[in-house]
Amino acid sequence: MAIKPSSAGASAHQIRLRNRLSGWSQQHQLVAVETLVRLLRQPFASIMTWLVIAIALTLPGAVWMTFDNLTQLSSRFQQSGSISVYLMPGTREEVAVGLQNALNAEDSVAKVSYISADQALSEFRRSSGLGDALDLLPDNPLPGVIMIEPDLRAAPAEVKAMIARAEHEPAVDAVVMDDAWLNRLEALIALSQRVVWVVSVLLGISIVLIVGNTIRMSIANRVDEIRVMKLVGATDAWVRRPFLYTGLWYGMIGGLISWLLLILGWLLVSGPVRNLASLYGSEFDLHPLSAAVALILLLSAMFLGWAGAWWSVVRHLDDIEP
Amino acid sequence: MSMVRFDQVTKRYSKSKDALSDVSFELQHGEFAFLTGHSGAGKSTLLKLMMLMERPSKGEVFVDGELLNRMKPSRVPFLRRKVGVVFQNHQLLFDRSVYDNVALPLLIAGYSPSEVPRRVRAALDSVGLLGFEKRNPIELSGGEQQRVGIARAVVNKPQLLLADEPTGNLDPELSEEIMNLFLRFQQVGVTVLIATHDIALIERMGHRRLILDHGTLFDKGAGSDKNAGPDKGDANGH
Ligand SMILES: Nc1ncnc2c1ncn2[C@@H]1O[C@H](COP(=O)(O)OP(=O)(O)OP(=O)(O)O)[C@@H](O)[C@H]1O
Ligand SMILES: [Mg+2]
Repeated sequence: MAIKPSSAGASAHQIRLRNRLSGWSQQHQLVAVETLVRLLRQPFASIMTWLVIAIALTLPGAVWMTFDNLTQLSSRFQQSGSISVYLMPGTREEVAVGLQNALNAEDSVAKVSYISADQALSEFRRSSGLGDALDLLPDNPLPGVIMIEPDLRAAPAEVKAMIARAEHEPAVDAVVMDDAWLNRLEALIALSQRVVWVVSVLLGISIVLIVGNTIRMSIANRVDEIRVMKLVGATDAWVRRPFLYTGLWYGMIGGLISWLLLILGWLLVSGPVRNLASLYGSEFDLHPLSAAVALILLLSAMFLGWAGAWWSVVRHLDDIEP
Repeated sequence: MSMVRFDQVTKRYSKSKDALSDVSFELQHGEFAFLTGHSGAGKSTLLKLMMLMERPSKGEVFVDGELLNRMKPSRVPFLRRKVGVVFQNHQLLFDRSVYDNVALPLLIAGYSPSEVPRRVRAALDSVGLLGFEKRNPIELSGGEQQRVGIARAVVNKPQLLLADEPTGNLDPELSEEIMNLFLRFQQVGVTVLIATHDIALIERMGHRRLILDHGTLFDKGAGSDKNAGPDKGDANGH
């Protein structure tokens, strides 16, 4: 026979809290799975959106990968640029050795060698072939030099600070480092990084807009359903939920496709790069996207998809009333 | 405390005329009443005010003791869970099964999924549609669709059941069957208000009648010839 509404009427609306909570989380899981299945069941309906998101992500991802490799490259070059610390003429031997030890203790220094003024002169004598002619000079004209090899793991700023400290030593005449080209490379990377940031932000906005527009269309397709849901007591949050999950999935699927594209791109390019590097006698290897960066890419894709859905839902969903 | 109370309610859509003017009435808990009147008299408007699908221009509307006029939008869904509605255009979703249509209010109200099947079957049983779960509503006859709509309206055990022309396109036999269904809900304590044109049917069934005429309400009390009480029609029909 008929169900018994009124006797149970009041209690029907006071479903036990635990039931309600478990119902709530199960509802979330259900909606998450349902929306994903809905998307995957009709891949052709949403494939354009996925691809646009994927391409918008692949671009910054690829540039990120390139920079990652470039900074690795520039720090490799840093080790080859050794630093010469020229001492004041007439610096006493023990001062020079003290300075050598002090520099050796610096974190950013890998190796220090000291060439005294006398050693420098005899070296010069040997290599120049001037021989006895040099004996005519009243004093040794050559200064002592401390040669520094910076640690390649040290940050450029650390190395610069170390140089500045060395320059302040009273026994030091001049510090010379052929780093002009390195500075230029670093400046170039910094500039391009900024450009990439701007482009990434623009591409991110375009993902939000694309997902927003796709969600807007699916809202329009489901107006009747939304009306009925609100009529039988759906809260705004409940009605929004499937659309927000859909946005999340769009972002995730787009992110996964862009992973594939980046791996594919890496496979295509890394071989030739290795060949090229070996021609120059380098063992440089193109690194793929690191796991952390790949995860960040995926998470931000999901966030952007969700944000696009949110934007659309706030603008279009709450207006639909039964 | 009454289930529904209208206190000098006026609803004005446009400046020219009132859809409802100065309407006052009460429905007690467990009462069964008809709402009649010519087309455009304001029947649907009156029902919509109880669901907050519209808000009154003047006067106060109470449902289950709660004043609806200034109810916050965030509270409205919870009001609607207390009220079951049936429309002439049953508003079923044709992209899903009968089961999923009826289960919708339960999922929305946050019932745990383990509880849902039992309640859905109970609701379908009460409208004589047990075994129709897997069917798509589009394959069903008008009367069957209407009963799916009723099952959806009662599955959440609402305290108040509103129906707007629930028998609009149905033949007299089917109309009576559906009316008897509503009566059975009243017998278990639901307050029922049915808007309908079907004067002949109302006359036969008796019960209290609220009559609207150009937005003005006349309360006719129970019919004279038959007192409140269920007809003996075979509600289950098959
Ligand atoms: N959304 C609206 N905007 C403006 N006017 C409206 C709106 N809804 C209803 N009306 C007007 O209010 C009056 C009452 O309409 P209502 O739908 O309540 O009548 P009804 O009694 O349900 O009629 P019917 O039997 O034809 O369904 C009518 O004059 C109608 O034109
Ligand atoms: Mg109407």
